Amino acid sequence: MNLTLPRFFWSEYRKRRKKASLITFALFWGTLSILLLMAFGQGLTTQFSISFSGLGETLIMVYGGQTSLEFEGLPKGRQISLYPEDVDYLKERIPEIMRIAPESYSTLQVSANGKEVNRTVHGTTAEFGVMRTQIPQLGGRFINADDVAAGRKVAFIGWKVAADLFGGEDAVGKPTVINRIPFTVIGVLKKKIQDSMYQGPDADQIYLPFYAYRQIDNRRRLNQIHIQPYDAEQSKLIESRIRTLLGRKYRFNPDDRYAMSFWNTIENNKEGMAVFKGIRIFLGIIGALTLLIGAVGVTNLMYAVAKERTKEIGIKLAIGARRRVIVEQFFLETFFVFAKGTFWGFITAFNIVHLIRLAPINYDSFGIEAYLLRPEFSLQIFIVYMAVLSILVFLSGIFPALRASRSNPIESLRYE
Amino acid sequence: MIELNGITKVYRTGSQSLEALRGISLKIRKGEFISIMGPSGSGKSTLMNIIGCLDTPTAGEYVLDSDNVAGLTFDQLAAARNRKLGFVFQNFNLLPYATAWENVELPMLFDGKSGRKRRERVTELLNAVGLYDWRDHRPSELSGGQQQRIALARALANNPPILLADEPTGNLDSRSGEEILAILTDLWKEGKTIVMVTHNDRIATRSERIVRLFDGQVI
Repeated sequence: MNLTLPRFFWSEYRKRRKKASLITFALFWGTLSILLLMAFGQGLTTQFSISFSGLGETLIMVYGGQTSLEFEGLPKGRQISLYPEDVDYLKERIPEIMRIAPESYSTLQVSANGKEVNRTVHGTTAEFGVMRTQIPQLGGRFINADDVAAGRKVAFIGWKVAADLFGGEDAVGKPTVINRIPFTVIGVLKKKIQDSMYQGPDADQIYLPFYAYRQIDNRRRLNQIHIQPYDAEQSKLIESRIRTLLGRKYRFNPDDRYAMSFWNTIENNKEGMAVFKGIRIFLGIIGALTLLIGAVGVTNLMYAVAKERTKEIGIKLAIGARRRVIVEQFFLETFFVFAKGTFWGFITAFNIVHLIRLAPINYDSFGIEAYLLRPEFSLQIFIVYMAVLSILVFLSGIFPALRASRSNPIESLRYE
Repeated sequence: MIELNGITKVYRTGSQSLEALRGISLKIRKGEFISIMGPSGSGKSTLMNIIGCLDTPTAGEYVLDSDNVAGLTFDQLAAARNRKLGFVFQNFNLLPYATAWENVELPMLFDGKSGRKRRERVTELLNAVGLYDWRDHRPSELSGGQQQRIALARALANNPPILLADEPTGNLDSRSGEEILAILTDLWKEGKTIVMVTHNDRIATRSERIVRLFDGQVI
């Protein structure tokens, strides 16, 4: 398209500035709405995702249970428990398992630095730390394979436990007594957001090497087993294989849903994400409908422009303008009207999001403000916005443009 | 160059129909200067619109430069108007928001001519009609005579072989009208085919041949 045509347009546009200003505002408001609603929706999803990953990513937790079906002559109501040897048993037989760790826990008396508290103490292995995002603060570490193998008397403690026992002091290297047995603190959990938990937040927990823990709590059975698959998509397959294998080992019907249970965070996360995706789509639709009001205004304006300029279109057709030229010019004008309103809407939305993110909001808290005031832009938002905008520009421009381009030159020339 | 055989144009409004042209046959040779005359409602402008490819006949055949116009698409007709025909209207029909320069430039824009070619041609044409110094003025800032000279320059932008002038002096004072006629005569002498609609006998005498219409027929 030749750039002289836009120049012609601007001189015309200036004459309609007052009429166009309301439409420009509607487009500004529509852009602001769609972008802010999507940005808040995105922030909500991100905050949820971060909170959820506090427990661990792609994690399946396996628990024992009580049979509800008779099986091979055995009565229902039998207790099914998990034992330390089940960890290797499952790992060897299910190739889809990437990591696996046992976990036993009980509430015990813990003292250090002259202070005494009751806390849940867990016995587990090194792989637990990776699966359950047990990231240590600087200068510390989680328990490792050697700690477990040697039954070392070392402890990894949550940051609240550290604060309760050691105040502001560095806890690493300090002694602590758990159930009258001395341990050395080797690491303190780094602060994290965690909205899913059992036995309370990790901040309040103490983790010991599995065999060291067994010296305190000599119950053989485990509380649960943690599993991380290579591929998150295989979580249901792993669940099914565990039921089959342990069903054979402990003689229960694999279809007996009460014999053992799972906390499949992968499936939970999928469901949660689907809900948030729904919320984002809903917010996007509300924003798009607001922008649609502006677009309807543009269509009306362009119809008015087409009518006002009937004579001009007739002159252009008379001196040889093809239909394409008329259509292009109308589209260009539609685009300019849109560009003016949406540009400022985009800038304003960007600045509002930026200002909110500058506010002193504690995103590590569980407060509602951490979910509601975490707007963020993403490439996806930009792509969705551009797609909605392109569709609206096309729909707003095409009908007035086609009507104008199909004008009869003679009738248009006679129009006054 | 222009050959009309049995051209009929019927306008229909609801159940009523009006026969504006009734079987007109006419040949216009290359380089000819003809005037079409007739009283109001005789079909002069309708005939001019059909010759100018702005309208299509209801029946009959129109051959322009060996092309049967009836078989041309909307865009092919637009191309014919752009390259083969130049229009001069009684009320000038200039774009009001565009300058004199831009108005003259427009047919070349539609033809896809380069910026350099457009600049050279607009300069040449505005100099030829004596309005180069008025190139940045809009039509509302020009007199009727000046506007018609700009319209003439625009009609000549793509150097069409045929010039169609519908009452070109109808809205002008006698002096301005005379200037326009002088330009048309010069163009004819240079080899252009001129078809002019007028109901002024004195003006019609400037042409080689007069075609008189009455009630949609050549008399």
